[in-house]
Amino acid sequence: MTGTAPQRLKPRLILRCLRRRWKPRPFKTKSKPEMPHGWGGLAPVFVTITAITITAILFGLSRLAATAQTQELTRAQTRQRLLQDLDSDQLRDAVLLGQQAVSRWPRDAQFRHYLGVAYFKTGDAKQALEQLTRARELNPADSATHFDLALVLLSQQNDAGAADELEATIKLDPSNVVAHELLGRAYLNSNRSLPAVDEFKTALKLDPAIKHGHYNLGFAYFSLGRNDEAISEYKEELRRSGESPAVVYELGHALLASGKYEAAVTYLQRGVELDATNPDVWYNLGKAQALAGQASQAEAALRKAAELNPKDPSPHYQLARVLEKLGRSEEARSELERFAELKKAQPASAGMATGRDQ
Amino acid sequence: MTPIQGVKNLGVWVAIFLLLLLALAGGWVLRGAAQTSTTPNNKGAVAKPAGAAQKAGAGTPATNPPLFVDVTRAAGIDFHLNCGSLEKLYIVETQCGGAAAFDYDKDGWMDILLIDGSSIEDYKAGKCHPPKLYHNNHDGTFTDVSAKSGLNFCGWGYGVAIGDFDNDGWEDVYITGFHGSALYHNNHDGTFTDVTAKAGVANADRWGTSAAFGDYDNDGNLDLYVANYVDVDMNNLPKFGSSQFCQYRGIPVNCGPRGLKGARDRLYHNNGDGSFTDVTEKLGIDPDSYYGLGVLWLDYDKDGCLDLYVANDSSPSLLYHNNCKGGFTEVGAEAGVAYSSDGHEQAGMGIDSADYDRDGWPDIVKTNFSDDTKNLYHNDHNGEFTDMAGPAGIGAIGYPYLGFGVKFLDYDNDGWPDIFMANGHVDAQVEGQSFGVGYAERPFLFHNLGFESDHQIGAQSKIVKFEEVAEQAGGALAKKYVGRAALTADFWNRGRQDILFTNMDGSPVLLRNEVPSPGHWLRIKTIGSKSNRDGFGARIEITAAGSTRYAEVRAGSSFESSSDPRTHFGLGAATRVDAIVIRWPSGQVDKLGPEAADQELVVREGSGVVERSPARREPIAVKH
Repeated sequence: MTGTAPQRLKPRLILRCLRRRWKPRPFKTKSKPEMPHGWGGLAPVFVTITAITITAILFGLSRLAATAQTQELTRAQTRQRLLQDLDSDQLRDAVLLGQQAVSRWPRDAQFRHYLGVAYFKTGDAKQALEQLTRARELNPADSATHFDLALVLLSQQNDAGAADELEATIKLDPSNVVAHELLGRAYLNSNRSLPAVDEFKTALKLDPAIKHGHYNLGFAYFSLGRNDEAISEYKEELRRSGESPAVVYELGHALLASGKYEAAVTYLQRGVELDATNPDVWYNLGKAQALAGQASQAEAALRKAAELNPKDPSPHYQLARVLEKLGRSEEARSELERFAELKKAQPASAGMATGRDQ
Repeated sequence: MTPIQGVKNLGVWVAIFLLLLLALAGGWVLRGAAQTSTTPNNKGAVAKPAGAAQKAGAGTPATNPPLFVDVTRAAGIDFHLNCGSLEKLYIVETQCGGAAAFDYDKDGWMDILLIDGSSIEDYKAGKCHPPKLYHNNHDGTFTDVSAKSGLNFCGWGYGVAIGDFDNDGWEDVYITGFHGSALYHNNHDGTFTDVTAKAGVANADRWGTSAAFGDYDNDGNLDLYVANYVDVDMNNLPKFGSSQFCQYRGIPVNCGPRGLKGARDRLYHNNGDGSFTDVTEKLGIDPDSYYGLGVLWLDYDKDGCLDLYVANDSSPSLLYHNNCKGGFTEVGAEAGVAYSSDGHEQAGMGIDSADYDRDGWPDIVKTNFSDDTKNLYHNDHNGEFTDMAGPAGIGAIGYPYLGFGVKFLDYDNDGWPDIFMANGHVDAQVEGQSFGVGYAERPFLFHNLGFESDHQIGAQSKIVKFEEVAEQAGGALAKKYVGRAALTADFWNRGRQDILFTNMDGSPVLLRNEVPSPGHWLRIKTIGSKSNRDGFGARIEITAAGSTRYAEVRAGSSFESSSDPRTHFGLGAATRVDAIVIRWPSGQVDKLGPEAADQELVVREGSGVVERSPARREPIAVKH
């Protein structure tokens, strides 16, 4: 899509973002066992060697036969081991151990939670969803389970489901900044822009330094057509976080939508300097230049947009208009024909046309 | 008295003195502000915007006098619009409510015609919901004269077009409906006769929405364009929420129009003998059968031949350029009015035209679906348009609203055309969701603020800014409705443009213009002699206080509506019109003037002014 705010945040971006943000819960460390006394001088060495040997054997056995080993561990030890595996990204071990734990203690919500996380980290979202859903059923009062379930649902683009889980998370833990931020994005992806604004505002209130906080809020305002507020938030994000291609682009885009063409050109030009591979930035730069009366420059930008995204009809529509203004009617006609061809090739849209849902 | 008491008393006197001083100063400031609001500024005859003056002066909307007052009940309008289930389970239930303002009995006062819908059960059972005709009593009230009118349309009505198709000097009525429309001839005695069969304009088996009369071949007879929507069978309507085409933001809603077969629009050529010929295929009209909703005849290139713009739902809108040889070429994409500015289809609903920036060329306004900006297409004078909705200030605010009826009007007579939009969603299910859109929505009244600056843009046009003033105006304008048709008329002949819009499953809203201190005005009623009797398509230029305004004569535009056919000009502070030029469709050019402001001129083609009527003195006897 070109020229308007994307309806959905890009799935890959969400996933990266989620994985970056996801942190396993910390270890619950136990106190060190005390050494026995009364073995004389050799006793400590003997004990140490023996202990090391036994540990090594046990460790090896555990890797060879997790089942047998799990039977020997207590519930607490299993929990600790599972967390250890998760934290050290020993994911296959974590899955094996988790499976055994769940089989042994089927009503233990935490084991299902950890197993779900292990599955998610190995990329098996379906199993992750199953385990986390069961964990939530067993212990609906655990905010961490709701949160992790939401992460999995977000990765599946199930924004409505994720929103439910994030709402539950926040009910149990209102100070969870990331939950507010993710809930805002889930709302935005479900076109529920008004509550998205509220969530982004809450996240900023809880943590004014949250990264992308003003960007997210600006995006939500823009989706509501509240362009002036969006512009103000984007500017604040730039002020706080420094220049980033996404923020510069969205700012330029919002200025363009507000009819502030010259300012839009300035930001969008910077946008293509920061990321010359994004066809949307080139397209909107061309559109802004055309509307600011810079037809020749617009032509170049629009041709670049068409080159980067050859299946997009929009640059050809704009090009036709620009070329007509430049008095090159034949070329304009040819661009309109190209525009019509590409439009025909696009899959039919469902629902009402809104000028942005193509 | 102790010294302390003396000091206290002194303090009281000082305080009283200061308060008096403050009151005097405040009064002086307010007087100055009031004077400013009616004083022409340095742009000639342009008065300071009423909306801006109110905004600056007051603070809360509640303390402002309302710009418009809802007088529907007091005026005796007791119509209730039926349009199927309240849940809007099917597409046929989503856009009823045609309305017209016209003078059916030639008494010089605008009467009201309201088109009713039906319900699926009633339609199948053959139960009628005829339209209602209200006669204007000249005292602010109306009388229901439907029973004797003969306007007995029985079906599921949608829109209405008004025009004197047989040039007998009396306005006739065309009503669009589901699988059948009807033409009613005015019998000159307050009654009408159904002449559909003889005229050949039944539009049989098609779902007609908006329609409009216009003489595209300048033969002196009004032709008729009928926009048709989708081709559905009432006995086999697509089931609510049943497919991807029956979803809105993930919730089940009524199906369509996408996923349904479109119905091809119709262009009927008037043969001048009471009959029409369907020239749709011959002239290549709507070959792709887009979902037609809005119809507008206009002469966008000012070549003297009426062009045609059709707003289509969820498909490209079409602009037919009239080649002045009896044919059309569709140029919507080339002209920049087919798609959004990014080349995307929009869900066009209502359309109207006026020269909002006073450059002498007709511009276009179009309403669209929610989650989209509405279009304000500026005429670039070269056959192209540039969408100025964003920079003009009507883009962003309209984003969550679903617009239907739309009309240019100069509600404060400052000489700059303003815009009224009736809003309301098609999916009842959106109410209560957190989408940021509602089913019932408040209307918009965009006040034209004139030029923002001398900043040059696009095809050398300057930016005119609008300010949305409905919410701050409060009263009826701040309430929510499920708006559909919208029209303007001077119902009380006061030199002010009033508004009427319809409201789904409820009462229409008749808004009486109560703008404090409006500017001067001039109204022109055209009577064609060689041209069509209504003078539709005539282009009028008036010059007052050194500036020229341009308008075209029409009744049909907006959505399923027909407005007061008399052409209204706001004059701001000007008390005189220096020159009037009327270019008739026949090619006749009448040059008139000077004329005093604040009157209605009846102009006959080739004969000049044949009648003058001053505005009626206010107030009129209506309670609200």
